[in-house]
Amino acid sequence: MLQLPTFTLTAWGLATALTLFLLVRVFLLRVYRRYPFFTFYLGANLLQTAVLGYLYQSYGFNSTTYGYRSAWATQAFVVVARGFAAAEVCYRILGKFKGVWALAMRILISCGAIVLVSTLYFGTRSYQLAVITLEMGLEAFIATWIVGLLLFARYYAVPVEPPAGMVGFGLGLLSCCRLLNDLVFERHVQAYQDVWNYVSAAAFVGILLLWNWFMRRPATQAVSEPQLNTVQVYQSLIPQVNRKLSELNQQLSQFWRTESPKP
Amino acid sequence: MNSVFFFVAVATGLALAGMSFWALRGASQRRVHEHGFRALDSAPRDLDNMPQIRQSMDPADFEFARAKGGRHLETRLRGERRQVALLYLAAIRRDFEQSLRVARVIAVLSPEVSGTQEYQRIRLSMMFRWRFQMIKVRLLIGIMPQPQLVALWQMASSMAIQMEQAMAKLGERAALAAELAPQSEK
Repeated sequence: MLQLPTFTLTAWGLATALTLFLLVRVFLLRVYRRYPFFTFYLGANLLQTAVLGYLYQSYGFNSTTYGYRSAWATQAFVVVARGFAAAEVCYRILGKFKGVWALAMRILISCGAIVLVSTLYFGTRSYQLAVITLEMGLEAFIATWIVGLLLFARYYAVPVEPPAGMVGFGLGLLSCCRLLNDLVFERHVQAYQDVWNYVSAAAFVGILLLWNWFMRRPATQAVSEPQLNTVQVYQSLIPQVNRKLSELNQQLSQFWRTESPKP
Repeated sequence: MNSVFFFVAVATGLALAGMSFWALRGASQRRVHEHGFRALDSAPRDLDNMPQIRQSMDPADFEFARAKGGRHLETRLRGERRQVALLYLAAIRRDFEQSLRVARVIAVLSPEVSGTQEYQRIRLSMMFRWRFQMIKVRLLIGIMPQPQLVALWQMASSMAIQMEQAMAKLGERAALAAELAPQSEK
């Protein structure tokens, strides 16, 4: 019998049931064809639950030995799967627009890398918390990617397919919640240990509820494939726009210097 | 983990969560555009009124009003024309935003995008918005740099018209391609 706190056990059960239900919906609505990595991520979560169940039964919940390390290794696996799912959402939204996609990739990878490296550098470097620090770095990376992607979509008025938007939003929000949770955990390890589990499980259940609610009906709104222009159009028009903008700014700065006519 | 990093990281996490709400809201509220030329619908239409607007900002009018109707009439005229100037400024802003929208459509539909050009446009548009707000404040407190206002609007309008013409050409080309496609399949 597992010696887990009742709340943790309940949250696990609920999360597993919701994940299973969502996975069934994903297959029934054939979402898996467009979102294979997201489907894989859901499957990875179920697999993690099974592995954790086995580990905790064999080595105990509060063990700090082999079982503890293995449990954290499964978490790394799930976070990486989530990273792939996030990348898939990014591609689904921006991938059609080759130029903007290439630009977004460059910027998002740079921003994500900065966030990841700074988290690993400034985070606690003790052996016990190394995995937490690594997880924090990855969560920060995913959150930056998703938020950056949504900002790009907003700025360029790119139409976002509702499933992609909702999956991306869920992944981003989950990463933000986990990041904040890990940060507090790392600072107050002893006092926060139980609460960390609850918050983590509650955040996941919340996101699963959101996804389940969203996938209760098949998506009807599809985004058509764009017809791209030639590179010459961009190369000839955009520098002109920038030149005009520069002139407008000059005009505005002259405005500021000019005295107004006296009555 | 030091305290500064902790607070910076917590603030960043909260900011990311907030921004994801905001960005998704903006993206989902947007109507699915047909990737292009609909952005032209609100091209500048106020150019026909240019002579009247220019006339309404002529300082000689104020002197004439003061000479004929006294200071009271001049003050009233000034207040009304300030409103005209504010509307005028709003029109400039509209034309400017329209041009930016078209530029974004061009960027989205381009297979290659220059990071330098995109960055430059963002920087310039932010500068424009800032200076624009400063001028609006000046107008609201009663300082009216009228000739410059007219020149500014001419520039913003000409930019919007230029973009409109370029996009119209693209539209014609796209329509021609669409017409040719079924014929070539026959």
